Amino acid sequence: MNTHTQRPQRRDSTAGTASNEGPDTAVFDRLYHDHVDRIFRFAQRLCGQVDDAKDLVQDTFLNAYRGLKHFRGDAQPSTWLYTIASRACIRMRRKRKGEPERELSLDEFIPTSEGEFRLQIPAEGLTPEEALANKELRGALQQAIRKLPEKYRLVLVLRDMEGMSAKEVGTIMGLNERAVKSRLHRARLFVRKELSARGLGQSTGSTRPTRLSHAG
Amino acid sequence: MKTSRKPTPFRLARHGHSKGHCLKILRRLSAYLDDELAPGVCEEIRKHLGACPNCEVFVNSLRRTIDLCRHVDAPPLPATAKARLRSQILRAAGRS
Repeated sequence: MNTHTQRPQRRDSTAGTASNEGPDTAVFDRLYHDHVDRIFRFAQRLCGQVDDAKDLVQDTFLNAYRGLKHFRGDAQPSTWLYTIASRACIRMRRKRKGEPERELSLDEFIPTSEGEFRLQIPAEGLTPEEALANKELRGALQQAIRKLPEKYRLVLVLRDMEGMSAKEVGTIMGLNERAVKSRLHRARLFVRKELSARGLGQSTGSTRPTRLSHAG
Repeated sequence: MKTSRKPTPFRLARHGHSKGHCLKILRRLSAYLDDELAPGVCEEIRKHLGACPNCEVFVNSLRRTIDLCRHVDAPPLPATAKARLRSQILRAAGRS
């Protein structure tokens, strides 16, 4: 068994304000200061709701505090926190729903008609930033992501939203790269189908882009 | 916007290639878009996309989906909420 080789290092001299609360609190404060924004962003992308995201952040850092003495430093502190957050997210979901997760089969995304092939994502021709300024599209995308079964959502959020490599996602989720890529492909196909099937996309067969008005 | 028009049946003859080829391409599109395939395979896929309007539209919509996911932002946690959360965590840790 490995011994503890490294604990989260302080990168910013302004970090940490409560070292008088004990050595663990000082280390915790450095970790919290350096990573809370990132984990909150991740939590929002996963949960969709600010209150749920705060719960997840709280759960994540509480578990991190309790696990500080076991953190061996063979992973980046951020990777360690993402791992804790991902597990906490799965645990929170199980508590709420108590049912096994649905598997996404590739077959359900294989088009069976020309119309399905030609489903399109709205606001074609706009930059992603311009397109996402549209409240309706942004809401539809968030809803599509929320509808994903947890294990697919985690992979999509970590890879496409947090910008991690397949290898890093594998480390966080305890999967090999092949499994990460397989889940990612299914998750992307699911979101594509959801986005274009919500009445936001084009009618079948048309090739003209649909532009939504900017609603703020 | 959806119309009441019935979906057009999938006619393979129109594109002059087999459905199996389209499906093979669709299964690899994420790897293609992530630039994870060998150059020869990419070339083969590009060739197919150029010849198959359905697959071309499909890959564009998948690329668009990924682009949108990559650009979703999330507002930061306000400083007061950050401090409150920290206190709650330390309080909970103290109870355990």
